[in-house]
Amino acid sequence: MSEEIPIWRVKYLPQRLSEICGRTELINRLSKVVKERNFPHLLFIGPEGSGKTTIATLFSQEFLGKYFKSNFQKVYADMPLTSEELKQARSDAYVSTSKIGSLAGKKITTPAFIQVKIKPFIELKALGDVPFKILIVKNFEALGSNQQAFRRLMEIYGKNCRMILITTKVSAIIDPIISRCQIFLISPPKYEAFKDEILKIIDQEEIEIEENNIKLLYKITKGKLAYAIDLLQLSSISGGMIDSNILYHNLMDSQTNLVRNLLLICLKGDFLKARDLSRKIQSNYKYSSQEVFSLMLKEMFKLPLSRYARTQIINHIADADFRAVDGMDIDIQISNLLAKLCNFAEIL
Amino acid sequence: MLDKLGRPWVEKYRPKSVKEMAIPQAKVSRHKVALDEELRMFIKNFFIEIHKVNEENKNIRIYNRTVEEKKQKKELRVPPEKSAILLEGPPGVGKTSIVYALANDLNMEVIETNASETRTRDALESKLKETVKSKGIMDFIVQSKDKLILIDEVDGIYGVTDRGAVPAVLDLIENTQFPIIMCSNEYKRNLQPLYNKVKKIEINPLSKDEILKIVKRILKKEQINNLSPKDLDFIIEKNNGDLRGIINDLQGICQGGLEADNSELLSQLYRDSNEEIFSLIRELFQDARTLEQARRITDKSDVDYNFLYKWVNENLPTFIRKNKELKIAYENLSLADEIFGRIRKNQYWSLLPYFYDLFSGGVVLARKYHPENEGFRRIHFPRFTSTGFFSLTVAERSFVDKVKEKYDISEVEIIQNLLPFLKKLTSDSRKLMKLVSDWFDLDAKEKKLLKN
Repeated sequence: MSEEIPIWRVKYLPQRLSEICGRTELINRLSKVVKERNFPHLLFIGPEGSGKTTIATLFSQEFLGKYFKSNFQKVYADMPLTSEELKQARSDAYVSTSKIGSLAGKKITTPAFIQVKIKPFIELKALGDVPFKILIVKNFEALGSNQQAFRRLMEIYGKNCRMILITTKVSAIIDPIISRCQIFLISPPKYEAFKDEILKIIDQEEIEIEENNIKLLYKITKGKLAYAIDLLQLSSISGGMIDSNILYHNLMDSQTNLVRNLLLICLKGDFLKARDLSRKIQSNYKYSSQEVFSLMLKEMFKLPLSRYARTQIINHIADADFRAVDGMDIDIQISNLLAKLCNFAEIL
Repeated sequence: MLDKLGRPWVEKYRPKSVKEMAIPQAKVSRHKVALDEELRMFIKNFFIEIHKVNEENKNIRIYNRTVEEKKQKKELRVPPEKSAILLEGPPGVGKTSIVYALANDLNMEVIETNASETRTRDALESKLKETVKSKGIMDFIVQSKDKLILIDEVDGIYGVTDRGAVPAVLDLIENTQFPIIMCSNEYKRNLQPLYNKVKKIEINPLSKDEILKIVKRILKKEQINNLSPKDLDFIIEKNNGDLRGIINDLQGICQGGLEADNSELLSQLYRDSNEEIFSLIRELFQDARTLEQARRITDKSDVDYNFLYKWVNENLPTFIRKNKELKIAYENLSLADEIFGRIRKNQYWSLLPYFYDLFSGGVVLARKYHPENEGFRRIHFPRFTSTGFFSLTVAERSFVDKVKEKYDISEVEIIQNLLPFLKKLTSDSRKLMKLVSDWFDLDAKEKKLLKN
């Protein structure tokens, strides 16, 4: 590489399937599939940051070889469509009367997302010397009821294109989809593999860290490699030995911590501060109200609270989320929740 | 001081001819055009076109006798962009007026439908379609006036009460024998099929000079000469280019009798302005003790409620400090917000009174403790507008695109994960900042994102 990549997580991104950290059994299975030149639709399930997308992309890359670029596409199911895409979907929805066939003059009612992002790719046959195309759909659970449309698509266009569906929540995926896929469970790497990977980076970047701190790193990042590498790079800036203090210091400001801080401020009863922080979180991270509420719920479980307090707080969060569905101004609904929590803290 | 016929001034001074009018500036797809010329051309071209089409159709009809023949050769129609035109602009700049004035100049008859009538498919058809398709019986005897169809306040077509109106209007546009002009204040999503078909002219608010010319003429005719230029300026300023509003206000003042104190009358007329909201919020939070008082305060103001409840949200914690009271206040405000959302989504306007009482009285009365001398509390603008899920600013958008070229992860991950990390990484060392920005090839604006 001619240029030094300044960001480690990009620099140490695996380039081949065999370079994936740990999970050897899975990788062996996938490598065999590459040799066999055939596979059914796949469903990758695993927690955030465990490397599902990286594995799926590298797998497609090796499977398609030099025809990778023309036969591969990755779509994000949770990204809202832009206005141009919506416009296109609307115009595509009419089949002209001048066309021949049973559809002539009819209106197609395919969901806009599938019409714009999926169909154009899977309708065409594969180019070059490969059996089929590969389509990766990330965050598949975000499609919600649109999943139904996938059932037929997977059968009709299965010949042209195999899909790799990626999700974190298997419970949100409808059964017919699951029955059409081969399932791969992808867990974060085991500690041994994680350690090897970190040691490799430490060697190359010439930094020092004790082994029990690697263990700590594994614990606080829950095995998410990209996150761990980020933390390592942040800690390395100050130079010298990396100890637990430095690691914790750099951990402080991540988004989940901000949400936890928000809860703590609320429980201290300082409404004004809480509102400022919630506004900061919203504008910095572009969360939807639903995401803020679900993050709060997640963080609430980590706080040392009594059973009674927890159920009360869940009640408040649920109520606020429910109102935000119909409400116009998210800020009001979140402020409402904060005010309730502040008041609740006083009663406690 | 209604005139002898009892008409309001706005009707009395409605221009009879285009020459009497203040013609607002107009744009067609961002190009400036002269509005009157554009409309004149449109009407002229339409009649040329329809004449041509009718002649052609006569010929076609002669050949088309059997059903099969009719299928083969269809009758021609005027393309929709030549048969209808849409005027879009703020209220009171003269959209309706110019249509009437022009019709008067060209000796045409205007057939108008507006939001005061229900516009279901049937209603529209019975009113317009027959006039559109056929000519009257009298036409065989006397050459009657040509007609011009004006569909005023198109944006007032609601999905619920005016079911089927949009297709009816589309149908009308396709089959019309007369030119159609539509007027609208704002973009409405359910009218998208209409927007796709017709030519749109955007109209800007009137400039001050144009307004002054008209206003001075009216004042002269009404023989009013004791209105000071300062007050006149004030009226013009606050109406923001809305000529109809200005004329109404003028009439209001003159009816009140100029002998009375002008300034008091004028302040009554004072609409939307920040200062008013400031005092309103202050009154609401500091003076209102009962629901009636709170109601009176919100009722007497002209401030848009859409706007007002955001002000209430912003300033609520400055006045209400106790957590217990805060909770009650926010409970009511959030319920008001939910109700408002339902009103907007489903057009349940009957719920509006609850919304009103909840966000004003419901919030204010949560406050039980009023200190004797509260002192001065600063009132804030609604600073924060939640942008909704994942709407990026321009800088963020270009940043995301550049990162994606080098490192292929989703946009959500870039904003929520990578950006905070990069901010932290580059905050301490200049060298890393340079390395990162060079590698992603960032420009100054995108670098600012990292610094902030």
